[in-house]
Amino acid sequence: MLPHRSRLAVLVFLTPPLLLYGVAVLLPIVQSLVLSFFSWDGLSDMEFVGLANYTRMLTGDAVFWRAFGNALGYLAICLVLQVGGALVVASLLASLRRGREVIKTLYLLPAVISTVAIAFLFQRIYSIDPAGLLNQALAAVGLGGWQRPWLSDVHTVLAAVSAPEGWRFVGLYTIIIYAALLAVPRELEEAARLDGASSWQVFAHIRFPYIRPVFATTTIMAATYALRGFDIPYLLTNGGPGQSSELITTYMYKTAFTSTDYGYASTISVFIVVECLVAVGLILLVLRRKAHR
Amino acid sequence: MTTYAPAKAPARAGGRPHKPRRPSRRPPSPARLASRVLVGALVVVQVYPLVWLFLTSLRTERDFAGGNPFALPTSLTFDNYARAFGHGHLGRNILNSLIVTMGANVLIVLCGMMGAYALQVLGFRFSRVVRALFLVGIVVPVQIALVPLFVDYTRVGLLDTYPSMILPLAGFALPMSVYLFSSFFEYIPREVYEAASLDGAGPYRIFARITLPMSVNTVVTVVMVNSIFIWNDFIFANTFVLSEDLKTIPLGLQNYIGAMGKTDWTATFAAVCVTVTPLLLIFLVLNRAMIYGLERGASKG
Amino acid sequence: MKKMLTAAVAAITAAALAGCGGGGGGDAANVNPAGKVEPRRISWLLSRPANGTVITVMRQLADEYAKSHPGFSLNLITTPDRPSFIQKYETLAAANKLPDLFDTDATPFAQKLARQGRMLDAGKLLTSLGLYTSYRKSALDYQRFDDGSLYTIPFEYQMEFFWYNKALFKRAGVKVPASLDDMPATCAALRRAGVTPIALDGQDQWPLERYVAYQPFRVAGPGYLGKLKRNDAKFGDPAGQKAANWLGALGAAKCFPDGFSAKGYTDAQNLFTSGGAAMYNIGTWELSSLATTKLNPAVRADVDYFTLPTVPNSVTAPNEFVTSSGIGMAVNAKTFDPLVRDFLKFALAKYPAAYAATGALSPTANVKTTIPSDATPLYRRAVDQANSVGTKLAMPWDTQLDPTTNTRLQQELVLLVQGDIKPGDFTRTMDAALAQNAPKFFTK
Repeated sequence: MLPHRSRLAVLVFLTPPLLLYGVAVLLPIVQSLVLSFFSWDGLSDMEFVGLANYTRMLTGDAVFWRAFGNALGYLAICLVLQVGGALVVASLLASLRRGREVIKTLYLLPAVISTVAIAFLFQRIYSIDPAGLLNQALAAVGLGGWQRPWLSDVHTVLAAVSAPEGWRFVGLYTIIIYAALLAVPRELEEAARLDGASSWQVFAHIRFPYIRPVFATTTIMAATYALRGFDIPYLLTNGGPGQSSELITTYMYKTAFTSTDYGYASTISVFIVVECLVAVGLILLVLRRKAHR
Repeated sequence: MTTYAPAKAPARAGGRPHKPRRPSRRPPSPARLASRVLVGALVVVQVYPLVWLFLTSLRTERDFAGGNPFALPTSLTFDNYARAFGHGHLGRNILNSLIVTMGANVLIVLCGMMGAYALQVLGFRFSRVVRALFLVGIVVPVQIALVPLFVDYTRVGLLDTYPSMILPLAGFALPMSVYLFSSFFEYIPREVYEAASLDGAGPYRIFARITLPMSVNTVVTVVMVNSIFIWNDFIFANTFVLSEDLKTIPLGLQNYIGAMGKTDWTATFAAVCVTVTPLLLIFLVLNRAMIYGLERGASKG
Repeated sequence: MKKMLTAAVAAITAAALAGCGGGGGGDAANVNPAGKVEPRRISWLLSRPANGTVITVMRQLADEYAKSHPGFSLNLITTPDRPSFIQKYETLAAANKLPDLFDTDATPFAQKLARQGRMLDAGKLLTSLGLYTSYRKSALDYQRFDDGSLYTIPFEYQMEFFWYNKALFKRAGVKVPASLDDMPATCAALRRAGVTPIALDGQDQWPLERYVAYQPFRVAGPGYLGKLKRNDAKFGDPAGQKAANWLGALGAAKCFPDGFSAKGYTDAQNLFTSGGAAMYNIGTWELSSLATTKLNPAVRADVDYFTLPTVPNSVTAPNEFVTSSGIGMAVNAKTFDPLVRDFLKFALAKYPAAYAATGALSPTANVKTTIPSDATPLYRRAVDQANSVGTKLAMPWDTQLDPTTNTRLQQELVLLVQGDIKPGDFTRTMDAALAQNAPKFFTK
């Protein structure tokens, strides 16, 4: 903290962000929170129902719990692909001597393409009739037996809708982690290598501890984006077949804008907020504990 | 976030005996070769969709309808681009997207930096409360804000204006921006501030002379991350925009949807190719800026 | 203190949002308000293709009207993608900001709007404009709510057919199915000949949902759906049970392509027009792509259509099948004024002729459709078919059921056809969903 800070300076710096945030985010959140205790279809008068929406969500809605399970699966796949993938790719990048900048930019490309186009492409990649890229590839390597309509099979659809989301942002997280890796002092690594440390030991004992804060940030970003993930599953399968790829977010969207049950939809979104807070807490807990070891 | 401090320890613990570096010209080891192949394969995986998109935008309709979608087009046509421009208002859409993206980015960067400065550098009694408030924003799903925001904007006459898109986009991106700036400010050694303070610089001067110039690298990161999401935002634009003149690119792409959901995909892809170009250009420019920022940061470390 | 603040915010919020629901209606029955025609900009929220015929024709008519009424303009706000449109429409309705004119199907949600007096009585309006009798009866019937009231005006008229490829039928040695019950066998034979039986856009949900409507319409008539949606009939009743069994059989016979649930509209049509599928269930809005000389020459001569097959002891006639007049246009009762009336009088009178001249079927019976120059003979046959349509309507279920049950139905149908669930599971799940959700929309 600065030695010469003043109350006024704090106010000057804090007011614009809080104002923007208050008006654009906090206000509607509070309004939603209030709505979660009401039954409202957007047309009729609002009716106070107390905790009825919460009771219904927690005890009487099988689809909700199904969606919750799916959301966790989606989160796991996205995290592995994005954070794990980014760590590996960033390490590979850091080992290159030339062309890093170009490659970095190329890795970012999928993130800039609109999700409509991405969804369309993946429909074709997963297609079986006619055989898409994935099924063609399986046949080519002699795994023809594994061919299936990936987006229609209730056992594979969740993974199939998670993968594009994971893949799309690998580049983004790679760049963040790569920037952190660059800041690791070379002397440290060289010294460790000369002391006979293996690549893995260099990574585990020097690089990773050094980038841990950035890694935590990245993990939190990826986790919260994954828990709020919506576009690609919505466009690819709209939650189907059945509820096999329904996420809490797509379920909430349908509850609000298909069923016009705004009160219940607000209840579900309150749950999403709680769920995300728990996830962030857990990530911080795990990564902090390691940092203190 | 101060708990991250121990992670910096290795940086200061670099006191091991320095041995001379080996000559840098080594024959590539198998591991190195494998990693290069892997990097190359990943490039293909990441670049392919854009190439595919571009090729599809050049396909004739019949080739698109009946052909293998992954084969090379049998013949090329620019008709799709003609239809894309003829049926839509691509120029207008791009301009609107630029305005919204830039407006939101300015807010995100300025407010994010100021908030992080107040939280991380100045510090105050309730900073934990404010941090917690921002955390809630990181994790709230935007969809639920739609109805309340729509009602609010209608009341204050913001509906169907640029701010009706910019404000929520900036607001929802703000927490992550504050978080990223905070993490970065933590890295600026306290001695820098103490020295400046001793020279008599106040909080505003320190912000303008020290914090701001040092944050270029983080600014670029924040802008890059947010531009991607804002450029492709559909949900706020679809909810708050009514007039044709304000439609952004994702809304403009809907012009190629016909009766009962029948979509002119080749024209859509042509439009996607056109509209993705400005974003790509911004990316290439910012990427340079990011590298400069990184190098400067490295030389100071 | 913070607690008090929170409580205050909550109270204000509740008040702010509550103020937006309900009320705000005009007089739904006053179709001829007093006053002068004062030109201004009027807005129409719609869900139609941006460059489609309806918009093009209405835009021309608005320009024409503006010439004699300086200061008038028609602002068309279109969102062709239906789910995005519905989100926008519902948000506007919740904020009480619906424009002068807005598109809506005769859904339970729209019925709530009508009950609140927010939509003008379209039957009365058309009568007062002297246009009511010019409309096809079935075009208006499609727009009606259950109680027979009419609140939306149709702009199109469509019949839905099974288009089929004669060459592929011949190759498989099958004939046009005489009964719905024969369809699984037809599919099986086509599959044996290596042909995909029916092209299906599974992604948009409604095409598959049509199939659940067919058997009940034939065995029980339109009344079944009317009762079902109010939870006065069950999916477990004979008509619903037959539908479930039939869909299970269609799935078992592999009538639809593998992975149909992820196929889009364009994919399905391309599969049929490239000769990959033998049948394709779609409406006359596709006449210009199916009955045209521009069609892929390999299949052009082989394309034909048949209408919805009957079943033994059918209670509806062969000339009764799915005919629709598309999404309708409602008139906002609150903003209705002499100008809106005058413009509608002008535009609706001229619309049918201008619309039919483009080769489309008008919702009115007083004009003749111009057959386009590049049409195949099939085009005229289809257009003429409109003159012999029967009186009972096979309504699509998606606009009739309450939205929550409808969403569930769409999801369960895919599972049923894919063989992931049995017909018995299907009826049980659906009856539970119906019992839980229908009362919220239909018993007030």
